[in-house]
Amino acid sequence: MPDLSPLYNLLAQLLPFDCLQARFMQQALAGLLLLAPMTAAMGILVVNFRMSFFADAISHSAFAGVALGLLLALDPDWTMPAFGLLVGLGIMLMQRSSNLSSDTVIGVFFSAMVAFGLAIVSRDRSLARDLQRFLYGDILTISDGQIIALMGLFLTLMTFQALSYNRLLYIGLNPTLARAHRVRVAALQYLFAGLLALIVMFAVQAVGVLLVTALLIVPAASARNFARSAGAMFWWTLLISLSSAVAGLVLSAQDWARTATGATVILVACGWFALSMLAVAHRREQPL
Amino acid sequence: MAAADPLPRYRPAEFAVRFDEVTVERGGISILDRVSAIAPKGSCTAIIGPNGAGKTTLLLALLGEIDYRGRIVFGADGRPPRIGYVPQRLAFDRGMPLTVAEFLAMGFQKKPLWFGIDTALRRRAMEALTLVKADHLAGRIVGALSGGELQRVLLALALRQEPDLLVLDEPSAGVDFQGELIFCELLDDLRRQRGFTQLMVSHDLATVTHHATHVICLNRKVAAEGPPRQTLTDDNLTAIFGMHMGLVNSRSMPGDRAVCSAPCCQERSDA
Repeated sequence: MPDLSPLYNLLAQLLPFDCLQARFMQQALAGLLLLAPMTAAMGILVVNFRMSFFADAISHSAFAGVALGLLLALDPDWTMPAFGLLVGLGIMLMQRSSNLSSDTVIGVFFSAMVAFGLAIVSRDRSLARDLQRFLYGDILTISDGQIIALMGLFLTLMTFQALSYNRLLYIGLNPTLARAHRVRVAALQYLFAGLLALIVMFAVQAVGVLLVTALLIVPAASARNFARSAGAMFWWTLLISLSSAVAGLVLSAQDWARTATGATVILVACGWFALSMLAVAHRREQPL
Repeated sequence: MAAADPLPRYRPAEFAVRFDEVTVERGGISILDRVSAIAPKGSCTAIIGPNGAGKTTLLLALLGEIDYRGRIVFGADGRPPRIGYVPQRLAFDRGMPLTVAEFLAMGFQKKPLWFGIDTALRRRAMEALTLVKADHLAGRIVGALSGGELQRVLLALALRQEPDLLVLDEPSAGVDFQGELIFCELLDDLRRQRGFTQLMVSHDLATVTHHATHVICLNRKVAAEGPPRQTLTDDNLTAIFGMHMGLVNSRSMPGDRAVCSAPCCQERSDA
């Protein structure tokens, strides 16, 4: 495995906070800096596609994925994303082929995943301790291996975004119109769902099952209020997502705070959202 | 057996689209029943019929949006044409921050919109907007447009695709006065210049009579098909719309009595 120390040292120099001198904090910062742009970029499309419930269902399959790994004596670090990917593609397939509304399809998957996870946990009490880790997440325990996996996902996802962002936006606006314009709607939707499932699974480790959807949608929702074009919305989302991640990590480590990192990151993002609502209110008062 | 098909069928040699026994059923209910019709190449073909006749369904089958039995053949070579589609209503998220210029560029631009719009693409978007007299809308948010403005922008997008086949669903629904002018006159001119085929669904018989060169009367089946003068007869109209067609007839029948209710034609007849 490559040595990531130079990267950590660089981060510590760029952001000379006291709390960022510990190695585990530098690892957490690296993890968040990789994760935030990905959740930001995907979040824009999640909001446009109205897929937040989809992301929620994937995140809730995290525990079932881990449980499955333990049951089959496989490494949960791999079974969890693999299982999330399967669930994501499964939901997409069912949405496209059945007449049920998409929230019903997701609701069914959602319940099945939660029930499956709980059923396995209830068999083995020692697993129940892990449950908390998944509910709240813990970016501070991220390993070098996970950071390298995140780097790989970062490259894949950002390439995908750069190549397909406009067409995905088109599909989000209206799939019929996009298809008439020779956009390959089905293929892009599957790719998007697959990558979203993977990113959700990584984000679960950082902020936990309960808050993963917030990490995706709060920056994008705030950016919607600030931005006046699709191009600007991207940069606003990136700014809000990155600043929330860094500020959340630093704040959570302060002696007076000592809060869970994931929750603090989301709270900062929600602060941005409140600001964005003020911006909207202010704009309404101005004559166009 | 000639008696099986009592309606005279008009069959020009060159067609842009041929519907061949197209049948659509949903939940056991027949929406389109063995529809066979054509849109001649370079024509302005209008699909008319009462509500629930399956007009929009036929367009959706053409666009590949719904499953159907039968065949839809494009042109003599069968190569799928470039289709410009202007929906009747665009269901979309009006809260999305997306400018009209971005909307017109996003289907053409490879570079993500984060880095702005290419100068060349922006210019072409402006040209398309100018064509439909909507250049003042370029900086507006798509979600904030009125129904008529949105339809003009959608038309600009469809024209921007340099279509072989322009598909319009109820082009005059929800269009303001100036917009209707555009849809009548502009499309006639452009079609002749660029040689595309226009296929539209319309409720407005008068406009159809005046602007269409080919008419498909649809009421789940094809009731009649051909040039307006030969197709929009009392008998055919009564057959698909039921009674009370006399009212429309007197205003819109072809020949010297024809009076199109569309504003462009009103203006023309006043002049």
